[in-house]
Amino acid sequence: MNWALTLWRLASFAVAAGLIALWQLIANLKLVSPVFLPGPDRAWAALMRGFSNGTLLDKTIGTLEHMFYGWLVASVVGIALGAMIGSSRAMRSYVAPSLEFLRPLPVSAIIPVAIALFGLTQGMALFVIAFGAIWPMLLATVHGFGAVEPRLYEVARSLHMSRLAVIFKIALPSASPDIISGMRLSLTVSLILAVVCEILAGLDGLGHWVLLSARAFRSADLFAGVILLGVIGYVTALAMSMIEQRLLRWRTSGH
Amino acid sequence: MTSIALRKDIPSAELEKSQIAFSHVTLDLGGKTIIENVSLDVKPGEFLCIIGASGCGKTTALRLAAGLYQPTSGHVSFDGEPMRAPRRDVAIVFQDYGKALLPWRTAAGNVALALETIGMPKAQRPARIDELLKKVGLPNHAAKYPAEMSGGMQQRLQIARCLAQEPKALLMDEPFGALDAMTRQGLQDEVLSLLDASKATVIFVTHDLEEAIYLGDRVVGLLPHPGRIGIDLPINLPRPRDQLTTRENPEFLRLRRELFDFIKASEA
Repeated sequence: MNWALTLWRLASFAVAAGLIALWQLIANLKLVSPVFLPGPDRAWAALMRGFSNGTLLDKTIGTLEHMFYGWLVASVVGIALGAMIGSSRAMRSYVAPSLEFLRPLPVSAIIPVAIALFGLTQGMALFVIAFGAIWPMLLATVHGFGAVEPRLYEVARSLHMSRLAVIFKIALPSASPDIISGMRLSLTVSLILAVVCEILAGLDGLGHWVLLSARAFRSADLFAGVILLGVIGYVTALAMSMIEQRLLRWRTSGH
Repeated sequence: MTSIALRKDIPSAELEKSQIAFSHVTLDLGGKTIIENVSLDVKPGEFLCIIGASGCGKTTALRLAAGLYQPTSGHVSFDGEPMRAPRRDVAIVFQDYGKALLPWRTAAGNVALALETIGMPKAQRPARIDELLKKVGLPNHAAKYPAEMSGGMQQRLQIARCLAQEPKALLMDEPFGALDAMTRQGLQDEVLSLLDASKATVIFVTHDLEEAIYLGDRVVGLLPHPGRIGIDLPINLPRPRDQLTTRENPEFLRLRRELFDFIKASEA
């Protein structure tokens, strides 16, 4: 079984390597002007140069910070709000209509509002990222709370568990698969919005780097930034699914 | 299976009082009368089995005893106090063990849930968990998740969690209904020996007549539509009971015949 998996891995690496080779070929043949398209060799050199003088590392950390803080705020607020709404029918009927209005609102439309309120600041980015990333988690939490096995509530009643204990010991863990998949979706949204905010507000980060490189026709630097953004997306998603597997061990374990 | 001692040695004064009492209990649900005018006294330490054709309200009667339902008229009391809500000293063993366990907690964690809520200090819990898991025959499965256990093991685990509540009464709703015959007989004997030690009162709902006679001190049969008491038989079979000799006892066969005729007549 394992060698089949290894073979699949090898094949996927081969495809990636093939694409890079194709890219190199196109660059070498100058099918696209080198001003706009650097080869992988030049992009790699730009990447190395950026890291050796520290600028790219700073930008990467900047983007990671924007993304992570926004995601964290969205997680805390989204799960808390979702738990409140999901565990009370009254809250559901009071709050649901407002949420239904806010949810389909494009985040891009919120950005000018946020700029007007907060200026071109880190606070603005935090607000926009958190606002955009909150929805998957909020909705997943509400759904997860609604889907708790009713029998478990009877067990809780017969044990005289407090309301808080019911939320933390029964409802939250029961909803955790939903919540975690919501958190994974939100992570992607956070990265997208971090880049958008950096571009629009000139905040220090890879988004800003990419924009400046493009304007200055430094195509190798531009590609280095894009590659780094791809790596961030890939690595964070990988980390998230590892955390998910660890936390949800009880679900996959079976005979 | 061999060492099931006699489980009754309760002071005679205690026997005068009833622990669980139904007095003229009627329950309507959704405009339909499910239970009608049921009066029933269960003595401390008594093992009462409730049988009846499907739809006769056996489970509903149990949920009334548990305080999960409130009667439309009449009242249910426990130790002389009205039963207005579930009590911690009345444990419920649900039939669907798979739904009543926390799938994200290990066997030890599921037992711990009850210990946490009764407020046992953290330091004392591991020893108590070991003791309870040992009692129900799961000493080597503390770290397993419910999904890794067989149906019989999951039901044992639920029983362990119920025992962790240190209940005065145990209400069991067809606990072995979903298990195969061999597992079921093993668990019947285990329940008898566990209760011998704890002296808890039991109401045991089952659709298996032989199981009711084998386990009970008394069997109550319900008539359907609406549920009411149709038969109330004391079971005077010697204890300890044995899967072979008890089931071959002429009295066992006579009782089985009587209950079988009752069910047949109630369905007609």
